[in-house]
Amino acid sequence: MEQTKRGRKTASTLLTATLVGTMLISACSSNSGNEKANESTGGDKASGKASSLKVEVFDRGNSPAGSTITKNYLTTFVQDKFGTPNNINVQFVPVPRSEEVQKLNVLMASGSDVPDIVFTYDSGTFYRYAQQGGLTDLGELLDQYGPNLKKFLGEDTLSYGKYDGKQFAFPAKRSHLGKYSSFIRQDWLEKLSLPVPTTTDELYTTLKAFKEQDPGQTGGKVIPLGMSLAPSSYDPFIWSFIQPLTEEQSYTLTQQLGSADYPTLLPGFKDALQFMNKLYNEGLMSADFSLDEDEKKLNEDAAKGLVGFFSEDDMNPFYADGTYSTLMTNISDAKLSAVDVFSNSEGKHAKPEYAPVGMYLMIPKSSKNAVEAVKYLDWMASDGNLFDMQNGVEGENYTLENGVPIMKTDATDEIKNRIYNFGDMAIISNGKQLGDADKNVEAYVVGMPEANQEETRKALSISRSDTIKPVLFDRPIEAQAKYGTALQDKYKEIIVKTAMAKPDQFESTYEAAIKDYMANGGQAILDERTKAYEAMKK
Amino acid sequence: MVLKGTAYLRRYWQLYALLILPVSYFIIFKYGPMYGILIAFKDFNFFQGINGSEWIGFDGFKEVFAMPDFFKVLRNTLMLNFLDLIVSFPAPLFLAIMLYELKIVWFKKLSQTILYIPHFISWVIIGGIVYQVFGTQSGMINNILMSFGLDAIPFLTDKKDWLITYLVVGVWQSAGWGTIIYLAALTGINRELFEAADVDGAGRLRKIFSITLPSLKPTIVTLLIINLGHMIAIGFERPYIIGNTAVRDYADVLSTFVYRIGIESGQYTIATVVGLFQAIVGLVFVLGANYTSKKLADQSII
Repeated sequence: MEQTKRGRKTASTLLTATLVGTMLISACSSNSGNEKANESTGGDKASGKASSLKVEVFDRGNSPAGSTITKNYLTTFVQDKFGTPNNINVQFVPVPRSEEVQKLNVLMASGSDVPDIVFTYDSGTFYRYAQQGGLTDLGELLDQYGPNLKKFLGEDTLSYGKYDGKQFAFPAKRSHLGKYSSFIRQDWLEKLSLPVPTTTDELYTTLKAFKEQDPGQTGGKVIPLGMSLAPSSYDPFIWSFIQPLTEEQSYTLTQQLGSADYPTLLPGFKDALQFMNKLYNEGLMSADFSLDEDEKKLNEDAAKGLVGFFSEDDMNPFYADGTYSTLMTNISDAKLSAVDVFSNSEGKHAKPEYAPVGMYLMIPKSSKNAVEAVKYLDWMASDGNLFDMQNGVEGENYTLENGVPIMKTDATDEIKNRIYNFGDMAIISNGKQLGDADKNVEAYVVGMPEANQEETRKALSISRSDTIKPVLFDRPIEAQAKYGTALQDKYKEIIVKTAMAKPDQFESTYEAAIKDYMANGGQAILDERTKAYEAMKK
Repeated sequence: MVLKGTAYLRRYWQLYALLILPVSYFIIFKYGPMYGILIAFKDFNFFQGINGSEWIGFDGFKEVFAMPDFFKVLRNTLMLNFLDLIVSFPAPLFLAIMLYELKIVWFKKLSQTILYIPHFISWVIIGGIVYQVFGTQSGMINNILMSFGLDAIPFLTDKKDWLITYLVVGVWQSAGWGTIIYLAALTGINRELFEAADVDGAGRLRKIFSITLPSLKPTIVTLLIINLGHMIAIGFERPYIIGNTAVRDYADVLSTFVYRIGIESGQYTIATVVGLFQAIVGLVFVLGANYTSKKLADQSII
């Protein structure tokens, strides 16, 4: 037994070394000593038979003075409220946020040092672990030890944690499903006495006016439509061109790459590309959008007051140090409004929404404390524990108004810092859970600077309206796990190539790009999904 | 005098002891990981480790060779390296000779320092600089072009223009550093040769062609062999950072391919196959170059 364990460990170390060597990526195995550094959090009085529970936690290197990622207000809270009463010693195993998946891979392969609860945002990683038989089947454990958890997560969310019909993960429940909103320079519209555009056609007229009349006096540098190579920029644009789908079409033709659905094969996708090609060639769109995968350039241009209209994650521009506030310091009379513009053939402002899940919480097969792990998550889902972990202490951290906790901005840093990493500790939820979607959203709104709250509220209701829900199969599509990452790059290539082609070369560019996409896995996914759909209908 | 067995060891054991560190370095970090090559022949399962995974023979290789992207990536790797060899290989040689000809010491030292600096800048930062200089919309060069009423050149988003950008940036980053080896070799030239040439009335160019370059020949050949050996290996950062989606047709190379397939998609078998393929082809290149050079110029490293 000991022998195989050591063998496996050596194997994994060697594997890591090989991969690291091949790929010139370092600092993967170098910190495998980290987990030994974590301290137990209290519970030292527990009698000899205390069981222990190790829980992964993201380390973002932002622990305030006086606390560490493994010992802070929340870890003590967990130990006092859950650990000590149940005679369980709860330990937290830090994993650097930036190399989450790599570090997790190393932990999982080691087999012995792995925490009892691990998690990842990457659905591909979850599927891979499940497929290779590295995870504990949680179905019975959930029924037996997790009634509160089951109720809290709900059937909808739980179904995302199933692989081949078995519950291999508890996906965290997402509190706000809206993804995107669009934003326009209201002051430019007013200057040109133009109405707020409400359809894609009207938007085109507006963009042309922005270009020709340059209301922002940018000296010819105006970018009427700000675009980047991030989904938040092109998704609302593209999905609004997608035709209404039959049930069969949405199951078979949608391609799920990573954790999002892609419209590559859906009817209307080509029209979207054609329109983008037109905007690009008429100079109505960011010229260098293909270089801007992280929206940095887009936000920089928007903050400089060059951009007339753009799409983003719904509340991103409105944070205290966000794009809008920088824009205001640059151009004091600028006004950025959240608007819902892109319209589909039915006149709806169709746009994708998130799957109702956040991180995938998993219990490795090698864990001997699966029961304690489920108990811990169940504890978090019961009574007010989740609320307390997310919000701190009433009267000190927040006051309640209509069921929405308002954070006290005048609290001392020490009190504010109590919950500095609640998002990483309250792992069963993504965002605050206050009972219904409107309240959840309101919790985000009240966290914004006073002046931006109205627009934030608008953006958050835009992102939730006319949404397209992700398509979920009841069985794994292996081709998606295999080709997903590569195809995400191919998908971006399709957008870039077709947008930047000369208009008379659009057709041939489109054909070639789609052919390349299909040959590199798109066809395999289509075939598998078609088969899976037929099997599901039987 | 030849010492026998124990006497020899007793006398020189310290020298052998000194060898322990470097040798163990190679065993631990270079030979040890070769065990991982087994992954290329196994259906690697994370939780069963290398030993526990099932043997699949050459199925991994078959799969790689059936991938349409693999050959594109292979072609790009060879193409970028070949162009690099033509453009970037002679650059340090020219620079070194020019530096060697400089007679004002402080100016020579200053030039050297300025030329070395780019080597110490991380590719991530170079990527940022490249973006600021070569961008279509807001790049420095295109801003100048446009202010003269000329059309912007898509240095980063058109594949052919991108190739030039890639090569120029490579030369800028590495040429200065590359001069070090040549400069070291140049200091070894016997000064009397130059004096004799002066007496014979040889000009500066004559001296470069008849003395400097011939003296550098062994160094040039050695470096050429090393470079040829790297033909199939390509650094990860440069193509990954300077490249972008619009030019992926040229910028996607073996190292970025392995990264995407191996680390991002978790297909370790495929990634290892590609890595092993790279190593074998690289070995063939080195041996081939070495053999040719031995035959043609009587210079070789093994």
